[in-house]
Amino acid sequence: MIVTINLRSRRFGAEAHSIDIVRPEMNCAAGNDDHAKRTAFMRILLTGAASPLGRAIIDELGENHQLRLFDNDPVEADPRHEVVTGSVTDADRVWSAMRDIEAVLHTGEPPSQLPDDELARDQMLLDLATRGTHVLCKAAVEAGVKRVVYGSTLDLFEPYPDDVYISEMWKPQPAPHMVTMSRYLGELTCREFARDFHISMTALRLGRLVREDEVAGQDADLLWLDPRDAARAFACALSRDTSQSPVWSSRWALYHVCALPPNPKYLIAAATGAIGFEPQHNFAANWKAD
Amino acid sequence: MGAKKKVLFLGASGLIGPYLTPGLEAHYDLRLTDVKDHPDGIEVERLDITDYDQVLTGAEGMDAIMNFTVNRSDPDLSFHVNTRGAWHVMRAAAELGIKKVVHSGPQAVRRWYDHDFDVDDVPRTPGTGWYAATKLLADEICEIYARTYSIQTVCFLFNGLHDPPAGPITGRDFPVMSVVWEDLQHACRLALEVESVPANYQEFNLHSHLGHQKYSLERALDILGFEPVRNMAEFYRRPTEMS
Repeated sequence: MIVTINLRSRRFGAEAHSIDIVRPEMNCAAGNDDHAKRTAFMRILLTGAASPLGRAIIDELGENHQLRLFDNDPVEADPRHEVVTGSVTDADRVWSAMRDIEAVLHTGEPPSQLPDDELARDQMLLDLATRGTHVLCKAAVEAGVKRVVYGSTLDLFEPYPDDVYISEMWKPQPAPHMVTMSRYLGELTCREFARDFHISMTALRLGRLVREDEVAGQDADLLWLDPRDAARAFACALSRDTSQSPVWSSRWALYHVCALPPNPKYLIAAATGAIGFEPQHNFAANWKAD
Repeated sequence: MGAKKKVLFLGASGLIGPYLTPGLEAHYDLRLTDVKDHPDGIEVERLDITDYDQVLTGAEGMDAIMNFTVNRSDPDLSFHVNTRGAWHVMRAAAELGIKKVVHSGPQAVRRWYDHDFDVDDVPRTPGTGWYAATKLLADEICEIYARTYSIQTVCFLFNGLHDPPAGPITGRDFPVMSVVWEDLQHACRLALEVESVPANYQEFNLHSHLGHQKYSLERALDILGFEPVRNMAEFYRRPTEMS
């Protein structure tokens, strides 16, 4: 199947760019219970591709989608995928990387090499999450991308006591720690793009990423999320396209994403109901040990 | 009479500072700072808000910080000055134990309500323009730090500043959400004097016209005691008896 995509760019004027993309036919047979694989083939830009989360997303989506892997750090990947090295704060680099792209998965993961100095590190984290996210979203809008998924964090709710159920209806209470605060600011930046433009924006507030097989014997944590399940959540979110909705609040959505412990504090029912996310790694052995 | 409060003023040479500080200098010991010369040749200390060490050094020994710096249209500097700069201010206040910050933002952070009336304390809805979007992020940072470190932080939202008219104005209306210099000076003095504000952080509409009923000043009155020194509606009157 050959599909023609028209790109219009304010950056390059009103000229339309037509690009033919060869798409393999997807097997979307009924009964396929893998929600991620039911999403039709897409050309996807993945930021933070060298991070553990990025690697998990590559494993989840790489077989069925064309990925463009974007990171400050070098990414080792299957030659089927493209690699772009650069910073999300580099508008020209980001614009180049956005060509032909249909969906953006913005993990929000920082580069592995951050400055040792605390101030310089925090300045970089702030800049990446705010200016970088703005640059990325602006380029996505200008390139006609219809779906963006952003990786936020459930750490925004840390101040709340453990005897409440935290759904998406609760007000975030980010602490002034840059790792957490910057993810929140990135989330707000994405939200404003959904407000202004016909683009479907999905924020995933992720739990703390730990592989289930690497925490055997440790005390369970209500925030734990296996990176493989986080990757599945990104894949599930790809199915969401509300870009044509005239109502901005329909173009914007955020979901809480973590494992499903026996007595959860962070509720993921919205993600399950709206995008079909169901975690496969629920740290049952850790909870039994508790 | 006690010693004057020491106030670090950031943006003393900008579009607002030169008109605001004359109304403060009799009441406060101001440290005027900016990255550029003052338009009236007044001496200002060089301080770049994008450099944390400079902000920290400038804030040492101060009782309050007033941040009236801004970059409106540059894709990079707007983030560095407005967002990172606000973080530097709040971080320095937290580090030094300064308990009062006066911050400013545009009406544009409430852009979604442009067509409403009786707009008071509404969520921030700035959209994606660099100016308003970076100010949204700045406001969020200020609120997070204010809540965490009990820094009493007042943020004024307005859209345009100017002199009061010299006489009656006919044939046009007062620019909505704009404030005359005297009122901004008055509001800032009240903000510097108020002991505390609810939740340690409050945003207030600020303007000088009591006729529109569009942006409410009620909270500014209730919490700060602010009222326009003179209601600008008095100047904008349509003559009903034509000669």
